[in-house]
Amino acid sequence: MIAQLVVDGLLTGAVIALGAIGVTLGLAILRFANFGYAEFATVGGYGALAAVLAYGGTGAPLGPFTFGGFMAVALAAGLAAAGLMALIGDWAVFRPLRRRGAGPLVLIFASFGLALVARNLVLLAFGPQPEYYSREIQIAVLLGGVRVMPDQVLVLAVAGLALAALVWLLRRTRIGLAMRAVAENPALAQACAIDPEAAIRATWLVTGALGALAGTLYGLTVQLRPEMGANLLLPLFTAAVLGGVGSVPGAVIGGLLVGVAENLSVLVLPTSYKAIIPFLIMLACFLLRPKGLFGR
Amino acid sequence: MTKRLLIALVGALPLLAFGGEARAQAACPHKLGAVIPLTGPQGPIGKPIADTAQLAIEHVNAAGGVKGCPIELVLRDDTGQPTLGVDAARYLVDVQKTPAIVGVVGSGIALAIVSSVTTAAKVPMVSCCAVTPTLTKMAEDGKTEGYFFRTIPTSRVFAVAHAVATTDRGYKNPAVIYVNNDFGSTLLRDLEKAIAALGGKIAGAVPYNENQPSYRTEVNQALALKGDALILIAFSQDGATIGREWISLGGTQNLVLHNTLRSQDFINAVGARFLGKAAGIDNAQVAGPSVDAFNAAFKAKFNRDPVGPGLHTVYDSAAVTALAMQQARALDGTAIRDALRLVQDAAGEVVMPGAEGLKKGLDAIKAGRKVRYVGATGPFGFDKNGDVSGPALVWKIDDGKLATDKVIDLEQMAALFRRIGY
Repeated sequence: MIAQLVVDGLLTGAVIALGAIGVTLGLAILRFANFGYAEFATVGGYGALAAVLAYGGTGAPLGPFTFGGFMAVALAAGLAAAGLMALIGDWAVFRPLRRRGAGPLVLIFASFGLALVARNLVLLAFGPQPEYYSREIQIAVLLGGVRVMPDQVLVLAVAGLALAALVWLLRRTRIGLAMRAVAENPALAQACAIDPEAAIRATWLVTGALGALAGTLYGLTVQLRPEMGANLLLPLFTAAVLGGVGSVPGAVIGGLLVGVAENLSVLVLPTSYKAIIPFLIMLACFLLRPKGLFGR
Repeated sequence: MTKRLLIALVGALPLLAFGGEARAQAACPHKLGAVIPLTGPQGPIGKPIADTAQLAIEHVNAAGGVKGCPIELVLRDDTGQPTLGVDAARYLVDVQKTPAIVGVVGSGIALAIVSSVTTAAKVPMVSCCAVTPTLTKMAEDGKTEGYFFRTIPTSRVFAVAHAVATTDRGYKNPAVIYVNNDFGSTLLRDLEKAIAALGGKIAGAVPYNENQPSYRTEVNQALALKGDALILIAFSQDGATIGREWISLGGTQNLVLHNTLRSQDFINAVGARFLGKAAGIDNAQVAGPSVDAFNAAFKAKFNRDPVGPGLHTVYDSAAVTALAMQQARALDGTAIRDALRLVQDAAGEVVMPGAEGLKKGLDAIKAGRKVRYVGATGPFGFDKNGDVSGPALVWKIDDGKLATDKVIDLEQMAALFRRIGY
């Protein structure tokens, strides 16, 4: 039972980790808590769904998975949708506010507003009922007493690949360097001929894509609902805070810890109280170690 | 400016004073309230229930309406939440001044409305689908003052049907997943008693909260109980989510499903190939000419058979209320409450569903003759608590289609109630 809970926790944790990386990068580079962040997951997930609906399914199921090869195209559509939303949001809302010297609190409220707009647009377009990319039911395989579904293993692998790609982007490319420089010190970065606006746009794109990936993977293993982003928001921020703001490895470990803790909580708490675990972790983190596990 | 305001005020005063009365007299159409979930987790079953209530009103209006006026069904969506249900009922009673409320699907919602709106406002509620025995208890304690009626038997009938469906199939040790609310926990208690009386024992029960995206943890807990079957007491969308996860995590396909899952949507969501051994329960539709009359009228209107929870009962809740509105001295709640029992006079002329049947009934009442409404659910009569008793059925799924497996008729049901000791 415990092994099952831990494995389930790691699998949900992988999705939380992807989103938490986006949150932590946003906090470090954009310098405000983007409470609309989780809507990238919703928009990305539903963007992929729109592609699946337009194509009429995901194609014949591949091997042990529930979906066909078209899912890769759908994922690209989801990433594009969230990327577009990120750029439009920055261009229409956040850049004008930055130019006017708006404080972090104004930006936070603006992000709340944007989140409501995005969520309700999704609700309007797709309706309130849960959606799936594929209605196929997958039978779990027993691996050493633990039930695992092939889709979930794939999700874990994709999350790992995305993480590797992100580390490469941040460490090995010019734009990654620019993003890290702006996170350290925007004024100094500008003095070194780095365009902060370009770095900010890149951050929006990267974090939007991470959110969309998290949303699509969540839709693949759980289900899509218009309020899924809103429900993910607290676990995402908890993971980012727990890991330490600005730390990518911290966000990954934070995400996995939150996922496992949430799942293990059912050993001592009724299942219905599972949702308060991220909140308790966040509270404990603020009280005991405000800078997080890996914060500086 | 002040003068003009004064003139406007003086002009408006008579309206304020007499507006209400004038409206009450010229109130054509007469209003009848309905609270039904159209969206939310109960939406998929609520929508056809609302359409069927509307069909009953169409029949009443085609039959000439009530007291010289057509009836307008004022329908409000409760989204499955008691708070919104109470708001909806308050709006109907306070703003729309409806003299009665029909529909009301969720037990929790019916409880909230009865305890805080309808009884206090002296407006009768004729629920189509609220099955909780808590309302029977409230009626016995005098807390409903006779303003609560229902056309569906209480959930004890469901508990008996679940127990029969389970033990008939030789399952001795079923696990239960049930919705964590008043309805679910009451049904679970009745179910434990019923299964014990019929020679089984529940392996354990796991509650679930509505409207969650995933129930993996609950399903894992239920799997750990190692039951030889699963009794699933869940609402439609949640039930589909739980059913999918149960099957995909390797749970037994020996399923006994609640009546809210008796829909093609559920079969499509889970997949017919996993449901070959599944059984389910529901209220039975008594056979007979009155039932055929409803079925034919439903098919003529919607071009499909009336299969699904609450369709027959909501027709009866709207039709019997309309007859009572005609029978009542005046269109006020108390008169309608008393009239609801008069239109079920055992010695009266039999009145059946459909525009023609209802026309016969309305005309008979106008002529001062006694009537007895025999409805889409067959002959039924409100007992002193406003409850009805009824038969149940066990269904199964043949080649992806819903089919009736066996019917537990009224007499068998009464015998089982005695054996279980309710």
